[in-house]
Amino acid sequence: MLSFIGRSVVQKIITLFFVSVVSFLIIHIAPGEPSQVDPMNPKFTPEVVERFREEFHLDKPLHVQYIYFYQNLFTGKTVSWKDNQSVLQKIWERFLNSLPLFIVGTVLTWTLSFPVGIRSAIYRGRLYDRSATFLSYLLISIPGFFFAYVLIIFVVTHFHVPVIGMETFGTGNTSTVFVVMDRTWHLLLPSVLGATGGIAVLSRYVRSQMLEVGGQDYIRTARAKGLPQEQVHYKHALRNALLPFITMFGLILPGLIGGSVIIESIFSWPGMGRMAYEAILARDYPVILTVNFVSAVLVLAGTFISDILYIIADPRIRL
Amino acid sequence: MKDNRLISVQDLKVYFRSNATTARAVDGVTFEVDREETVCLVGESGCGKTVTALSILGLVPVPPGDIAGGRILFKGQGLLDLDDNNMQSIRGNHIAMVFQEPLTSLNPVFTIGDQISEAISIHKNIDTGTQRERCVQLLRDVGIAAPEQRLNDYPHQLSGGQRQRVMIAMALACDPELIIADEPTTALDVTVQDQILRLFKYIQKTRAMSILYITHDLGVVTHIADRVYVMYSGVIAEQGFTSQIFNHAKHPYTRGLLASLPSRSKRGKRLYSIPGSVPDPAHKPEGCPFHPRCPHAIPSCWSEYPQMCDYGEGHLARCPVLFEKTKKTIDDK
Amino acid sequence: MKNSAQKEFKEDFQLEEPLAPKKTRFQEFWLIFRQNRLAIIGFFIFVLFFLSAIVGLVLTSGQDPLFDPARIRLQEKLLPPLAKPNLDSLAPEDVPAIGFYLMGTDDLGRDVFARMLQGAWVSLTVGFVAVGISVLIGIFLGGIAGYFGQHYMRINHIVLASLFIFGVGLIAVQSPHLGAACLVLGFLLICYQALTKRKPRKKSMPSWTRFLFKNAISVDTLIMRVVDIMLCFPSFFLILTVVALLPASIYNIMIVIGLTSWMGTTRFVRAEFLSLREQDFVAAVRALGVSNYRIIFRHMMPNAIAPVLVSATIGIATAILTEAGLSFLGFGVPPPHATWGNILSDGKRFIFDAPWLTFIPGIVILIVVLSFNLFGEGLRDVMNPKLRERH
Repeated sequence: MLSFIGRSVVQKIITLFFVSVVSFLIIHIAPGEPSQVDPMNPKFTPEVVERFREEFHLDKPLHVQYIYFYQNLFTGKTVSWKDNQSVLQKIWERFLNSLPLFIVGTVLTWTLSFPVGIRSAIYRGRLYDRSATFLSYLLISIPGFFFAYVLIIFVVTHFHVPVIGMETFGTGNTSTVFVVMDRTWHLLLPSVLGATGGIAVLSRYVRSQMLEVGGQDYIRTARAKGLPQEQVHYKHALRNALLPFITMFGLILPGLIGGSVIIESIFSWPGMGRMAYEAILARDYPVILTVNFVSAVLVLAGTFISDILYIIADPRIRL
Repeated sequence: MKDNRLISVQDLKVYFRSNATTARAVDGVTFEVDREETVCLVGESGCGKTVTALSILGLVPVPPGDIAGGRILFKGQGLLDLDDNNMQSIRGNHIAMVFQEPLTSLNPVFTIGDQISEAISIHKNIDTGTQRERCVQLLRDVGIAAPEQRLNDYPHQLSGGQRQRVMIAMALACDPELIIADEPTTALDVTVQDQILRLFKYIQKTRAMSILYITHDLGVVTHIADRVYVMYSGVIAEQGFTSQIFNHAKHPYTRGLLASLPSRSKRGKRLYSIPGSVPDPAHKPEGCPFHPRCPHAIPSCWSEYPQMCDYGEGHLARCPVLFEKTKKTIDDK
Repeated sequence: MKNSAQKEFKEDFQLEEPLAPKKTRFQEFWLIFRQNRLAIIGFFIFVLFFLSAIVGLVLTSGQDPLFDPARIRLQEKLLPPLAKPNLDSLAPEDVPAIGFYLMGTDDLGRDVFARMLQGAWVSLTVGFVAVGISVLIGIFLGGIAGYFGQHYMRINHIVLASLFIFGVGLIAVQSPHLGAACLVLGFLLICYQALTKRKPRKKSMPSWTRFLFKNAISVDTLIMRVVDIMLCFPSFFLILTVVALLPASIYNIMIVIGLTSWMGTTRFVRAEFLSLREQDFVAAVRALGVSNYRIIFRHMMPNAIAPVLVSATIGIATAILTEAGLSFLGFGVPPPHATWGNILSDGKRFIFDAPWLTFIPGIVILIVVLSFNLFGEGLRDVMNPKLRERH
C-alpha cells in the first residue's frame, strides 16, 4: 500500500512536470505576443514594450523563461500582466466565489442522479424509464448557453427576480432575510444549469451499471436465496454497481475550474471560469498558465484519491 | 403414497417470446420428485433443463420469458400461483438452488460469511451469534477446513471447488426439503467433481432431503441418481429408475446417448455419435422432435407427436415405434 | 484396406446442420434497430441534417447564391418568421428567393433562414472533421499501445525522437540553424543504425553504446502517460486558449477540437485490443503464421471498431456543441460567415425584441445534437451482443 502510494505520487509529479512544459510551450509557441495585443494603443511605445519584455523576461530564451515562471509560481511571486496583482491572490478570491456554485451543483448532481438512475434500471422499459431516458438525452443535447437564456427569461418574467451576478446591486442595507433570498436566487440558476448536464450523464451511467450488474449470476443467486426485491436491488446490485462511481468521485475535483466558463460569463459570476476567460482575452499568460497548473494538480489529486478509494472499496484489489 | 410426493411438475410450458419468434424452451414437461429421493434430469445443452429448474423457483425473467402453461405443485401447493412475497419465503427456505458457475454466482463484494448468513437471517428468526455458529457448522459440513477463518474471506480468495462447497452450504443454510443442483460440477476439474458428487450423496443421506440434479453427463447419473428423466428439446423423452434407463433404454435418443458413452468394452472401436444436433427451440420440427436424427424414424414420425408409452414399473418412453416393436416381439414369443 | 478406412470415415462423417434459418447481419441489425423508435427518429433527422447541410452549401455559396446569407437589408431588420418583405422599398435582387422570410431577419436585415443553411454546413464539417481526427489518432495510438504495448522503447529511440522534436520545436521558435542541425543529426543517426543493423554487431562495442540499447520504457506506458498528460488539461479551457491564440478560422477550430478529444478513444481501443489479443482466435490466426498487420486490421479491428463508431457518433454531437459554445464566446468562425453559435450569440442582445433569433438556432442545435445522441445510443444497443442474442 505504502509503496503504491509512493510510486503513484512520483508518477503524478512527473506527469505534472510534463503538463507544465506542454502548457508553457502551447502558450509561447503560438503566434502573437502579449506585447502585440494592442499595437494601436499609443501608450505602447517601443520603449514601453521593451521595458515590459525585460521585466517579464520575455527577451530570454524559452527554457530560461520557463524556469523563471515556475520559480515565481512556487514562491508565490507571479503577478498578472494586466493589473500587476498577485496571481495566486486573484485565483484564491475567484475560487471562493466559484465554490458555492460548485458545491451546490455537485450536491444536486449526485443526490438526484442516483435515485433517478436506479429507478430507471428497476423499471426498465416502463414509462418512468423511458421518460427519464428521453429527458436526460434532452438535457445532454441542449446547448448550455441557450438553456441558460431560456431559464433566465422564464425566471425573470415569472418571478420578477434578477438573477445576473452574485447579488442584486444595492442590497447592502436591506434585511438579512431579503439578502439571503436574493443570494439564493442568484446562486440557484447557475448551479442548476451547471448540474443539468451532470445529472443527465450520471443518471444514464448509473442506470447502465445497474442493468449490467442486474444480469450477473450472483443476482440470480441472491434471488434464489429468497431475498426480497429491495434487498436484491439495493444491497447486492447497488454495492457492485457503485464501484465505478468511486472513480468518478475523485474526478469531480477538476470541475472546480473547468466546466463553468460559459455559465459564469452569461451570469456575470465573478468566478474562476470567468477569470480564465478574461485572462485568455487579455493574453494574460501568467494567469492562464497558473489556472492550467492548478487544474492539472486538481486532476492528478482527483485520480489519486479515486485510486485509493477504489482499493479500499473493492475487496478483489489487494496490494 | 401421495404424501410422499415432494414436488410434481405437470405439463410445464415456458416460452421465450420476441416479436419475431417464440422459442419453446420447455414444451410440456412432467416429472415428480419424492421425498428423500435423488432425481436426475439429463439432456444435451439447450434442451430446457435449466429453464425448468429456474421456473420451479420462479426465476425465469419475465419478459422475455413466459410461463405459458402447466402447474408446479410443491407439497400440494401451486407454486406458479404464489405472489412474490410467498414465493420468497419458499426460495432458499424450502427449495434451494446450486448454480453452475460458482465463480460468478457468488457476489464478489461480500464475504462468504455474509452471503451464507443472509439466507438464514431472512428465513429463520435467530440472533447473529447463532447465525455465525450455524455458518461455521455448515462450512464444516460441506468439508471446508478452518471454517472460522474462511467466513471472512471473499469469494475470489477461494478455489473453484471451495466456492462450489460454499454455494452448497448456502443452499443448505435453511435446511430445505429440495435442492436443485444445476450442473454443479460442470465448471470444475474432474477430481473436484468427484468430491462434490460425494458431498451431494453424503448430504442427501445425512439430511434426508431430495435432490433434483441437472446434468448432461450420464457418468454422473449412474453415481448419484435414484430415478432419471431424459429430456430432449423441451420434453421428457424417457423416464425410469436408473437401472432401467441404463440397461433397457426404450427411446432411440437415450440409446444414442448411452452408445456414445466411452466404456471399456468399446475399447478400440469407433464411438457412436448421434447425427445432427438439438433443434433450435424457435424452429422445432413437426411431429416427433427427434425424428431428423432418429435411426428408427418411420413416415408417421414426421407428422404425429409421439405419446408416452408405459413399459410398467415406472418406466416410460416417448417412442411408439419402438413400443410397437417390443410388443410384437413379446407377442411373437 | 485404405478403401475400407475411407468408407468408414465417410459413414462416420456428418454434416452439422444449422440450427435455425440464417439471417444476414444486416437483417439482424435492422430487426433490433427498428424497435428503438427514438433511434429511428434520430437517424432520420441525422439524414435530413446531412442533406440540408449539403443543399445549404450549394444554395448559399458561389457568386450569386439563391439564398444569400450576407445580404444586408437595413430597412427590413428584425422581422419575425414568415414575414413578407416590403416589396416597395426593396431592390428586386434583395427579395428572398422564396418570397418571404421563413425564419425572420436579424438586426442587419439578413435572412436568418439563409444563415441557418450556411451554418448547417459549418456544424456538419466541424463535427465530422474534428471527430475524424480524434478517432484516427485514437485508433492509431490505442492500437499501438494495445498490440505492441509490451515492446520497449530503447534509449536510442528516445534520443532520436527527442532530437526530432527539439529540431521542429527550435525551428518553430526562431532558431532555424540549431533546429536544422538537430534534424540532420537525427537523420544521420537513423542511417547509421540502418547500416549497422545489416552487419553482425562487432564485439568491441564501447561500454557507453551498450547503455543506448537498454530498455527504457514500454510503448504502452509511454502512450498512456501521454494520455494522462492530455487529460490533465481542462478540455474546454484548453480549446478556448488555443483557439484564442491562433488566427480565427474554421479549420483551426476543427483541428483543435480533434486534437484535444482523442484520449477517450485511445484508452478504449487499447483496452479492447488488450483483451482481444488474449483471445483464442487471435492465437489461432497467429499460429497460422498471419502477419501482425493482417491480424490487426483483418481480425482485431472489426471487433473493436463498432463501439468506437458509436462513441464517434456521440462525439460529433459534442463537437457541434463545443463549436457553438466557442462561437457564442466570440472565438468561433469569424464573421461574416454564419454559424449556429454566432447567430445565437448575435441574437441574444435582442432576446426580448426578437426571441426567434435566439430560439431558432438554439432549438435547431438541440434537435441535431439530440438526433446524433439518440442515433448513437440506438447503435450501441444494436452492437450489444447481449441484446442481440435474444432475437
